Amino acid sequence: MTFADTVARARAENRTLLSEVEAKAALAEAGLHVTATTLATSRDEAVAQAAAAGYPVALKVVSPNIAHKSDVGGVRLGLADGEAVAEAYDAILASVKAAQPDAIVGGISVQQMAAPGTEVIVGMTTDAQFGPVMMFGLGGIMVEVLGDVAFRLIPLGEGDAEDMIDEIQGRQVLEGVRGQRPVDMAALEGTLRGVSAFVAAHPDVQELDLNPVIASPEGAVAVDARIVLAEG
Amino acid sequence: MAVPGHRLDRMFNPKTVVVIGDKGPGYMWLKNNQPFKDKGGNLYSVQIDEKEIPGIEELGITNFTSLADVPEPVDYAVVAVPRHISPYVLKDLIEAQAAGAAFFTSGFAETGEELGITLQEQLTAMAREAGFNVVGPNCMGLYLPKVGVRFSADVPVAQDGRVGFVSQSGTHSIMFSLVMGTNGMHLSRCASFGNAIVLDISDYLEYLTEDPETDVIAMYVEGVKDGPRFVKALRAASARKPVVVWKGGQTDAGARATMSHTASLASPHAVWRGIMRQCGAISTDSLDETIDVVKLLLYTKPSAGRRMALMAMTGGQSVSITDAFGKQGFEVGRLSGDSYEELSSFFNIVGGSYQNPLDMAGTVQGKTEVLERILGILDADESVDALAMEQSAMFGARQWKEHPERLDELLDTLAKHIDGSTKPFLMVMHPAHEEAFVAELRLKFAERRIPVFPSFERAAAAAARALPLGARA
Repeated sequence: MTFADTVARARAENRTLLSEVEAKAALAEAGLHVTATTLATSRDEAVAQAAAAGYPVALKVVSPNIAHKSDVGGVRLGLADGEAVAEAYDAILASVKAAQPDAIVGGISVQQMAAPGTEVIVGMTTDAQFGPVMMFGLGGIMVEVLGDVAFRLIPLGEGDAEDMIDEIQGRQVLEGVRGQRPVDMAALEGTLRGVSAFVAAHPDVQELDLNPVIASPEGAVAVDARIVLAEG
Repeated sequence: MAVPGHRLDRMFNPKTVVVIGDKGPGYMWLKNNQPFKDKGGNLYSVQIDEKEIPGIEELGITNFTSLADVPEPVDYAVVAVPRHISPYVLKDLIEAQAAGAAFFTSGFAETGEELGITLQEQLTAMAREAGFNVVGPNCMGLYLPKVGVRFSADVPVAQDGRVGFVSQSGTHSIMFSLVMGTNGMHLSRCASFGNAIVLDISDYLEYLTEDPETDVIAMYVEGVKDGPRFVKALRAASARKPVVVWKGGQTDAGARATMSHTASLASPHAVWRGIMRQCGAISTDSLDETIDVVKLLLYTKPSAGRRMALMAMTGGQSVSITDAFGKQGFEVGRLSGDSYEELSSFFNIVGGSYQNPLDMAGTVQGKTEVLERILGILDADESVDALAMEQSAMFGARQWKEHPERLDELLDTLAKHIDGSTKPFLMVMHPAHEEAFVAELRLKFAERRIPVFPSFERAAAAAARALPLGARA
């Protein structure tokens, strides 16, 4: 399914929020590195998909009306075998139903776990005055509390991706502190440029979050993705 | 000097200026523009109120009761009539084929009331249809210090201005002009553009970009109407000359309801900052910061890096200057072996130090040839990108008052160093107990193009903003 098909289906279903599975498929199609993610609609399907993806895996609820999946017990990480996947599948459904009875559950996504690294956020939103802008920041507290993020207009120009990373206060974390190896900056810059190119090519995209992207010496991979379309 | 063919060119280089609707007893606008007449420009008044005419004529200014009677083509008009009269005046200006007009008149859309909004819409439609250049309304208009067109009787008339200023606020444009003046710096051209119903910030910015008399552009902005056009104009301007953007209204009120994390973090201020950096402009947050950055851009050379050589007169000051520059991300590292060797040959280390920062009053002892030698050593040192030096009014003021020639000698030494050096040089002089005396000194520094700052913190903050841009240029 191409991104155009995904947009058409979302429009037909009268929704602007794409599912994580849809968003990741679109970004992978655009050449961005995302963790392999498939949609399971039964426990057996989930176990089969997990085996195909390779353990450990993560399971996440797929729903158009749950804002924060982990708040309703909709995320289980580091599942090591089929038994754990089967148990987690049932547990997520039960927990979501208890926490948010009106949740529309479209299934559960089965995802490869990314290798450990530094969490960063790469995003895009549409500024009322200036149009589409990119954002980059470190994940977690640096973004939440300190607002340590950098913005640029899309499309990014020559040197903009490097400069965005250079601008944030916490950049040293990426350069390697206390003996850690630096993350693969070229891969991270590639993620920024890739999102810029994707958004520039698709004016339908109004907001986008890759949160988090795991940056490591080996590369940068988006483990969660969210795309919001402009009102059709 | 001008920008031929630009729509603002006649207004920015006027031969004939008309003030419409000025009133006594102050006759503020006629008095503001008296220097224009003194310099040989045609300054006229248009006023139909017979009570006002004798007072206007007493100022030696010819009054006409109709704009149509003005004998020369009108290049710039200042309109100070009540708001409900303004559409009639605009009609006359369009018919007279005036090059443009600033409407000091207020009471338009900024009031939020229906009559004001309607009148503004009426003016906008008339001006746009005629392609007429309206500055404002609700503004102080143009300030052209070289020809004597002014928006305040206090701002200087000066020939040497190299800084263009564009401002959404009238107060900030006057204040900027005045404080620049007390620092010995003047403006080339300035526009206070208020409600910007026809001419917007990008129009002025485009003119100043082309203007051969403007070396540095600064502006005060609260918001822009056409974001993409502003970005385009700003990018083009920054590619030609340094642009400093002082943004007002930076506190973001309230949380926004959004579906994504990115949108919730995209405060207008954060987005603005990023865009300024992307466009190659320098962001500032206040009047003083803007003045400081402009000063450095006017007087210093581009910087090759962030390694500072710091000089202070005493131990305490050498610590403080290092703290201030360190906090702004500058490196205060070791000098080269050659420098140490040479400095050690004459430095007085009793109560002093030739490590970086240099603590040097005991060595210099007011001898400019020693200072010159130290500056020369630091200038030649390849591990130094830029120099900053402290000289306190606390120690200096009394002897400079008694021996003005010593001060001149010091300033000449610094100016000579700057002329012969490729590295930025910053001077820090805290006024201490001598505010008034140091205020006079600032003008002497400006005459010799030595950038002087009243505190370490302001010098370091200006350097952090202005020098990297120099390095890119």
